[in-house]
Amino acid sequence: MLSALIAGLATGALYAAAALVYNVMFSTSKVLSVTTGHTAMLGGVFGAWFMQAFGLPVPVALLGSIGVGALFGLLTDFVAIRRVLSRSDEHLWLLSTLALATMVQQAIALWWGTEPKPFPRVIAQDFGAGLLDQKYWLPVIVAIALAVGLELFYRRTLYGKLFVAMSEDIFAARARGIPTDRIRMLSYVMAGAMGGLAGFAAGQLTFAYFALGLTLTLNGFIALAVGGLGSNLGALVGGAALGILSSIATYYVGGEFQQTISVGLLMVVLLLKPEGLFGTRNVRPV
Amino acid sequence: MCGRCEREQIEMKRLLTVIVVAAALITLPFWAGDQYQLHIAALIGAYWVLIAGLNLVVGFSGQLSVGHVGLLAIGAYAFAIIAGTHGIDPWLALAASGGIGALCGFLLGLPSLRLPGFYFAMATLAFALIVTELVLAFEGLTGGGVGLSVPSFPAPFDTSEGNYWLILGMAALVTWLTWNVARLMWGRGLIAVRDSVVTAQAVGVPVLHAKLAAFVFSGLTAGLGGALFAVIQSYITPDTFLFELGMFFFVCIIIGGRGSIIGPFLGTVVLTALPELSAPLAKLGNFFYGLLLLLVVLLLPEGIGRLFQIVLERLRPRRVESVPIAPQPERLAAAIKVGQR
Amino acid sequence: MNTTALQASGVTKRFGGVTALSGVSLELRAGEVHGLIGPNGSGKTTLLNLLSGYYKPDEGQVLLGSEDLSQRPVQARAKQGVARTFQKPRLLPSLTVLENAMIGGWRDTRSGFLASALALAGARREERELRVRALELLQGVGLGHVADRRANLLEHAEQRFLEIARGLTGRPRFVLLDEPAGGLTGAEIEHLGTVIRVMRDCGIGVLLVEHHTDFVFRICDRVTTLDLGRMIMHGTPAQVRADPEVIRVYLGA
Repeated sequence: MLSALIAGLATGALYAAAALVYNVMFSTSKVLSVTTGHTAMLGGVFGAWFMQAFGLPVPVALLGSIGVGALFGLLTDFVAIRRVLSRSDEHLWLLSTLALATMVQQAIALWWGTEPKPFPRVIAQDFGAGLLDQKYWLPVIVAIALAVGLELFYRRTLYGKLFVAMSEDIFAARARGIPTDRIRMLSYVMAGAMGGLAGFAAGQLTFAYFALGLTLTLNGFIALAVGGLGSNLGALVGGAALGILSSIATYYVGGEFQQTISVGLLMVVLLLKPEGLFGTRNVRPV
Repeated sequence: MCGRCEREQIEMKRLLTVIVVAAALITLPFWAGDQYQLHIAALIGAYWVLIAGLNLVVGFSGQLSVGHVGLLAIGAYAFAIIAGTHGIDPWLALAASGGIGALCGFLLGLPSLRLPGFYFAMATLAFALIVTELVLAFEGLTGGGVGLSVPSFPAPFDTSEGNYWLILGMAALVTWLTWNVARLMWGRGLIAVRDSVVTAQAVGVPVLHAKLAAFVFSGLTAGLGGALFAVIQSYITPDTFLFELGMFFFVCIIIGGRGSIIGPFLGTVVLTALPELSAPLAKLGNFFYGLLLLLVVLLLPEGIGRLFQIVLERLRPRRVESVPIAPQPERLAAAIKVGQR
Repeated sequence: MNTTALQASGVTKRFGGVTALSGVSLELRAGEVHGLIGPNGSGKTTLLNLLSGYYKPDEGQVLLGSEDLSQRPVQARAKQGVARTFQKPRLLPSLTVLENAMIGGWRDTRSGFLASALALAGARREERELRVRALELLQGVGLGHVADRRANLLEHAEQRFLEIARGLTGRPRFVLLDEPAGGLTGAEIEHLGTVIRVMRDCGIGVLLVEHHTDFVFRICDRVTTLDLGRMIMHGTPAQVRADPEVIRVYLGA
């Protein structure tokens, strides 16, 4: 039971990280990108590849994964967001990010293969470490570090404050001379990097697997919706709740109903508190 | 050239086209190359039964359901279980598949259609994954990972040709139904829900009710399509109903063009046939669909159907004159008073 | 004579910490043109949104005759015969002008989804009758020559008149116009005035929210002036135009 809890917490941490990625992208563009889960998937796949195919040392492979994630974030902004945001049809970005996510997932499947491949050890550790295995606590540490880092970024740095300004009122931000296109691009690069890092950290838990992209997009979204869009604390809580609930349910009922239970959680929360646990109600514009 | 004559000419041309196409489709088993091509035609037909209904949801009311493959699976398994495992009359089973599909459409649509666009899309995605999960979980009923074999319809529909004609008939029926919705008030209402909810509300369209009506209808067609699909496959497993297939349906509509019937139909034909014609494309699989979707969204957001329209307009240039607005007060007053009676 | 009026009665509307409207009353009678003017931020659009059902009042009521509409959804307005246009025209770009006008007639749609799918006789008849009436209304406002044009190809003035035709297709008793003269040339504003007068003469109550004060004073029977969420003056155009408070706040010396 304890191991189920710990495993659930670790997977939940990955979901929480995905929710954080959603938050960062959403803050500057008001877009929820389908490519969110794929940033982490790429981090895991490329991390494994860098270490296995080239024998690169862990820190270098880690930087490489972060870089790949960042590049993918940039690609998302460039291809799927930039030209689409100016159009009046508001659902085009859903289509474009869905298209890009599909392309990336399939491309990785074609190149890397459809089997999950093992992810090498990041820190020297015995495989019999049980509950203290790094595959459990690496994702948790990274998720918390990312959330704390984001809060510091928003409060203490200039760019962070620009993100906040944009997320509150983009027209006012533009009117004050903030280069919103460039800031948005920066936020996507940052979000991608965050995803890459999280994917690398969770690699030993999830294995390097192409299908992780879509499932993480969905589960990260559930964590986001439960915790509340726009809240980083909500992302952590939502992710933890989802991970632990899934894991405990699997422990008692068997793995066959995992997806059903996750979505069940989502539905319950959305029905009771549609804006999520820590979210704020929007004012509807006319 | 009198306006009436022009319109009658267009109507005649349209009728002629329909007759020619119908004749070609009905006689297809005789001029198609081989059994395999007939099989593909039947597959396109079964897909189209689902997509025609889904078109009202995605193309007209603008609800981006990516998980309709879940409803396809429900229809397929319902048919296989009712007609196969329990040996009930396949026609009843077909009707039941449609009904169960409609019911599941209602149960899925009722909570999720209130949600904003991305949330809704994720809900349908989750639904598709849940259906696969439940199919695997309830092995006793569905055969789990091993799958179920599917009986065929009774004679004369048990041959490839007969099966094709059955599907053609169903596809024609569903096309007629959706064409009716499209050209009458409800089609416009759905488009209003898609393009301007504020306008839809202002004129009194019951937004949720309209979305739900289209969605339940799409559940019906998905259930029917699922049963027909299952019969073509003659054996179904959970792997037959992956999310990729749901993406495929969705992409057919977007590429074909939202707001039309013929666009998504052409989209379905082209996207089903292309991997058959080109082996490298087949290998690319979903990557290709994703790429097409991206290109359409960036370059031709109204779909390829619209591209044809634009080309036609260029070929038949009508000078768009800028005529100043000149109200006709008596005519206006008379028209208003007609409404007040 | 039908004396039903569309009223806002002592309505207050707050958004977060901001009070957009405070205790405002306005009565729109049948067969009159009622102007609503005031500086930017005075609450005109908020009042219009309250009357048309997009907002619900925090205090006070919105009444149609004696019926309280305050908590009813937006769609109920169309059924009650209240139509509106928008400050930025909202059309369905992929449909033709005629189809855009026809959507205004939704309230008379008795056929359900299923009846439409089966193309039952009733549904087809409704469609035919609606098409004829919408086309007549388009001719009436002066857009008959573009009936088959795609709405996204319309010029700005044409869009505005289309919104009015759409509103009229719903057989309204009251039409609420949100800055309909915005972006129109002098000649087009004259035509707008003609259309508004016809509506009034047919017994429709027209609310005209506008910045073109000359136009408002020329065409309205009564005028209400708002400032900072309160009503500051109400009366005939002559009275309002001469009111010192109105001049100070809005019209200038």
